[in-house]
Amino acid sequence: MEAIEKKLREEAKKLLEEKKVDVIVGYEAGTLPLTAAPAFVTDPSDTTKLVWNALCVQNLAKYVHDVVSQHRNAQKRVKPENRTKKVVGVVGRGCTTRSIILHLQERQYTREEIVVLGVPCRGYVDKKKLSVLLEGQEIVHGALDGERLKVTTAAGDRIVAVADVLADNCLICRFNNPVISDLMAGEPAPAMRSDEEYDAVKAFESRPSEERWAYFEKEMAKCIRCYACRQACPSCYCPECFAEQSRPRWVGIGEDASDTQVFQIMRIFHMAGRCVDCGSCVAVCPMGVDLRTFLKKLDKDAYELFGSRVGASLDDPPVLSTYREHECEDFIYNP
Amino acid sequence: MSEDRVKEGWDPKIAAIVCNWCTYAGADLAGISRIQYPPNVRIIRVPCTGRINPFYIVRALQEGADGVLVSGCHPGECHYITGNLSARRKFAMLKIFLDYLGLEADRTTFTWCSASEGERFAKVVSGVTERVRQLGPAKKLVKSL
Repeated sequence: MEAIEKKLREEAKKLLEEKKVDVIVGYEAGTLPLTAAPAFVTDPSDTTKLVWNALCVQNLAKYVHDVVSQHRNAQKRVKPENRTKKVVGVVGRGCTTRSIILHLQERQYTREEIVVLGVPCRGYVDKKKLSVLLEGQEIVHGALDGERLKVTTAAGDRIVAVADVLADNCLICRFNNPVISDLMAGEPAPAMRSDEEYDAVKAFESRPSEERWAYFEKEMAKCIRCYACRQACPSCYCPECFAEQSRPRWVGIGEDASDTQVFQIMRIFHMAGRCVDCGSCVAVCPMGVDLRTFLKKLDKDAYELFGSRVGASLDDPPVLSTYREHECEDFIYNP
Repeated sequence: MSEDRVKEGWDPKIAAIVCNWCTYAGADLAGISRIQYPPNVRIIRVPCTGRINPFYIVRALQEGADGVLVSGCHPGECHYITGNLSARRKFAMLKIFLDYLGLEADRTTFTWCSASEGERFAKVVSGVTERVRQLGPAKKLVKSL
């Protein structure tokens, strides 16, 4: 990991010095122990603060989109002849590059506007799993030492293996190496258990319908509609979300349980053929709503019905933006 | 509330979202030809099935429709050439997804019905009404206020 980090900083510095990019979107150490936060580096001397380790959780494609669209909006007030393009460098692990591919396919920006600094990924630490392991004790101090986490809590010191607290989506990740990259820091990471990818979904499918609904109701009852999942999601970039639209008002804003369910159904369904399973939504959810069980189902369907995985290649369009003449006719009702 | 509906002789309410060019004309033909079909459908006309936001279906279920019927031109006969082909993918995924969540699969129905198929439209509506009647009043996802 240290070698990758060193190489990453060197490459980032070089890119900034050579003015090939205007800003590097990466990770820096967070203000709380055992966290990493997104960093926006514009000064070559600041590249030393970039980190790459198992604490880097958020999908950075979200921030790439933010930076590009903010710049575009600012440029609207500039005379056409004076307009500039902003090139964004991004530290891209597998899921980040898949999101970038999705953005490119959905024409959010062009390939020339981004430089991908590819990094191999071995998965990130799920804070909630770690918290369960520490029995809810607050982490006073923590350090990452290779494959182990040294954690100090009020109850004393503990050593936790990173492998024991990896996020669920990382354990079954199929794309833990960048799908596209301009530069690559480090050797490709070993494959994860991608053959078990849909096991959880299959298990859920086999439960009776009433149980599935009860589970869905129970999970959605936790949701406080803070919209953190939407804010963190790289595929949620609408300038105005349906959740806030008032003409028409798509979802009620009251405390009726069905409003929350409808909000979640629609947000999840907007991810049909668009979710890269980066786990950002689950990681930021303050209530621990199980969104992945439902998101992963759409991924499975898209693959089984249309044979396509999101962001697997630039030439493979998102499933709902294309069609074939003869396909999936079995759900059509014939009296 | 739904139990009261049964007592009062509940009859299914079905929102039929149909395309202007085929199914709406088909429904018109059924009417002109005086073909009898159950009066449980409330027809909503849209330009094309491709224009139907999946939200319409979810919202209809939330607002108390016992069933939703979506019908448009047969594949290859879309007035806008490919509107129904994109819609087909979308609805295939939506139907499976709603079933996965535990909502009864028979509440949402997708079919094709052309302008000359008045007979078929009547059959579809009868079939869908019967299926929804079997399921009883909608209880899941229904807004209680």
